[in-house]
Amino acid sequence: MPDPSTSRDLRLDFFRGVALIFIFIDHIPENILSYFTLEALGFFDAAEVFIFISGFTAALVYGRRLVEKGALYATAQVLRRAWQLYVAHVFLFVIFIAEVSYTATTFKNPMYNEEMRVADFLDEPHVAVVQALLLQFQPTFLDILPLYILMLVIFPVVLLIARRHPLLVLLPSVLLYVAVQVFAISVPAYPEGHVWYFNPLAWQFLFVSAALLGHARIRGQTSLPGAGVIVPAAAVIFAAAFLIKLSWTLHGVWDTFPGLLLKQLWPINKNNLSPLRLVPFYALVVLVVTYVPRDARFLQNAAARPWVLCGQQSLEIFCLGIILSALGHFALTEYGASVPMQLAVNAAGIAMMFLTAWVIAWYKTVDRMPVLRAATTSARSSDRAAQ
Amino acid sequence: MTRRSYPAIAVLVTAAFFLGLFPARGEHACEVPPEMMQVSVKLPHLAARLHAREPVNIVAIGGASTTGTAAGSPDLAYPHRLQLALAKFFPDVPITVVNKGVPRQSTRQMVGRFATDVIPEDPILVVWETGISDAVRGIEVEDFASGLQAGIDEIKNRSIDILLVDMQFSRSTATVIDFERYLTALHRVANLNEIYVFPRYEMMRYWSEQNMFNFDEVAAEERARLAARVYDCLGHKLAQAIRLAVR
Repeated sequence: MPDPSTSRDLRLDFFRGVALIFIFIDHIPENILSYFTLEALGFFDAAEVFIFISGFTAALVYGRRLVEKGALYATAQVLRRAWQLYVAHVFLFVIFIAEVSYTATTFKNPMYNEEMRVADFLDEPHVAVVQALLLQFQPTFLDILPLYILMLVIFPVVLLIARRHPLLVLLPSVLLYVAVQVFAISVPAYPEGHVWYFNPLAWQFLFVSAALLGHARIRGQTSLPGAGVIVPAAAVIFAAAFLIKLSWTLHGVWDTFPGLLLKQLWPINKNNLSPLRLVPFYALVVLVVTYVPRDARFLQNAAARPWVLCGQQSLEIFCLGIILSALGHFALTEYGASVPMQLAVNAAGIAMMFLTAWVIAWYKTVDRMPVLRAATTSARSSDRAAQ
Repeated sequence: MTRRSYPAIAVLVTAAFFLGLFPARGEHACEVPPEMMQVSVKLPHLAARLHAREPVNIVAIGGASTTGTAAGSPDLAYPHRLQLALAKFFPDVPITVVNKGVPRQSTRQMVGRFATDVIPEDPILVVWETGISDAVRGIEVEDFASGLQAGIDEIKNRSIDILLVDMQFSRSTATVIDFERYLTALHRVANLNEIYVFPRYEMMRYWSEQNMFNFDEVAAEERARLAARVYDCLGHKLAQAIRLAVR
C-alpha cells in the first residue's frame, strides 16, 4: 500500500470533478438535470465543494513545498497558480464581452433596450475593462474565480502563520465571518451599487478552514477528533437539511407538496455564506470523511475515472464548463428547450468536459515521460505495429 | 400551478394549436392558453370597492416596460391600456391607473419609492412589475426575494391589495440573461404570500413561440407600433385576470 501522506487522495479529485460537472449543469437555466445536483438537494451547492476542496488541496500541495523547498519557493508557487487563474479569468471575460457585444448590437426589440442594458459597459469600455482586470467587474458566472484568486494571494500568509499555530489563523477568520453575518458587511464591486457575489470576507472562512484541515492532514492528523459525537450530529443536521430542501424542490414542481419551513428559512443568503449553508455543508464533509475511505473501491472504478480526471484538471475544466453552459443555454433558447433537447445538451457538454480532461491528462503523462526512453519505446512499439 | 410546469403546458398547448383547437394566428393576436389565465387568489379590497361602486385608484409601479417608452407615449404603455380595459369591464366605476414606472431600478430601489410614489396616491391595488433589473444586474437572488417580501409587507400592512407582474420575455436576451432563478424566486415569494403573479414572461414566450410580434422581421419605424400592440395585449390580459380575481 502506498504511503498515505504522499499518494494522491483520489477523493479530492473525484468530488471536485463532480462539483465541476454540477456547476456546468446548474449554470444552464431551466435544466432538468439541475433537479439532481446539490443545489436541489442541499442548502448549499457545488460552489462550497469547489472552494472547500481548493482550500484543502492548496494546503496539501503548498504545505509540502514549504517543508521541502522553503517559504520563498512555496510562496512563489502559490502566486504562480494565482496568476494562472487570473489569466483564465481574463480569457473568460473576453469571451463574455464577445457574446454580449454581439447580442447587444444585433438587438432589434425596443421593448428591452431600456432595461436590458447588459451591454452598459460598452458605453465606457475603458473603465469596464480596467475594472475587470482589477477583478471588480464580475459579470454573472465570472464571480467565483475572483474569490479563488484572492484566496490564493493571501494564502502564503495563512500558511506561514498556521505553521506557528492554527488558532492564529482560525480565530481572525471566524471573527471576520461572524462580523459579516452580524453587520452584513459587503465588498463593493463595479458598476456602482454592485457587490462581490461571493463576499470574500465571508467565503474566506470556508477556504481558510479547509486549508487548516489540509494542514492538519500534513502534520499527520487523519482521524476526526470526537467522532463519536460529531458523526451522529452531522448525520442529523445533514438529513434535516436534505429533507427540508428536497421538500422545497418538490414544492417548486408541484405546488400542493408542502415546502417544509419554507416561510421561516427561505431565502438562504449565498453572498455571505449563511450559516444555514455552511453548517450542513460541513456536516456533509464529516460524513464523507467518515464513510468514504481514501482507498474506497469505487474510486478505482472505470466509471469514476472521468470524474477524477476532471477534478485533476480543475482549472481548464471549470473554464470549459462555464463556456459550455453559456453555449448550452444559447442552444436551448434558440432550438427549443424540450426535455430530450435538454438531455442532449447536458450529455454533449459533459462528454466534452470528460474528453478534454482525458486529453489534458494524456498530454501531461506523455510530457512527463523521460524523453529518450519515451522515444525509443514508442519507436519500438510502432515498429512492432508495422510488422 | 407554478411556472415550472409552464414549459410542459406550452408544449401541450403548441400541439393543441397545431391540431386546430385554438384560433389561428391573426384572428385573436392576444390569445394565450387558458392555463395562463387561471387566477386562484382574490383581491378582496379591490372587490369591495368595485362592489360598492366607489372610485378605484390603482398604482402601477415598475421599470421601463411600465413607463412604456418603447411604444412612444404613456397612453400606449400597459398601465393605461389596463385602465381602458377595466373601464369596459366595470363601466359604472371610475377607475384610474397611475403609472409610476422608472426605468432600470432594482426591486429594493422600487421599495424605496413606495413611501413617496405609491402610498400618497391612496391606491386600493398596487400592480408591481419587477425583476428585470435585478436579473440584468445579477443581484443575488436571495436579496431579490427579501426585497420583494419587504415591499409586499409594506403594501399588505396598509390593507391594500397587491399583485406582481413578472419579467418580459425576449429570445435574444434570454441567451445572455438568466431570468429563470429570478422567476422562480418571484413566484415562490408570491406563493408564500398568496399573491397573484401575472405570468407576463410565459405569455410573451408563448407569443414568441407562435411567432406573433416578431420584431426581427419589421422595419425599425414599425417596431414602436409593434411594442404598443404588445403592451395593449398585456393590459387587456391583466384586466381579464383582475376581473377573475374580484369575482
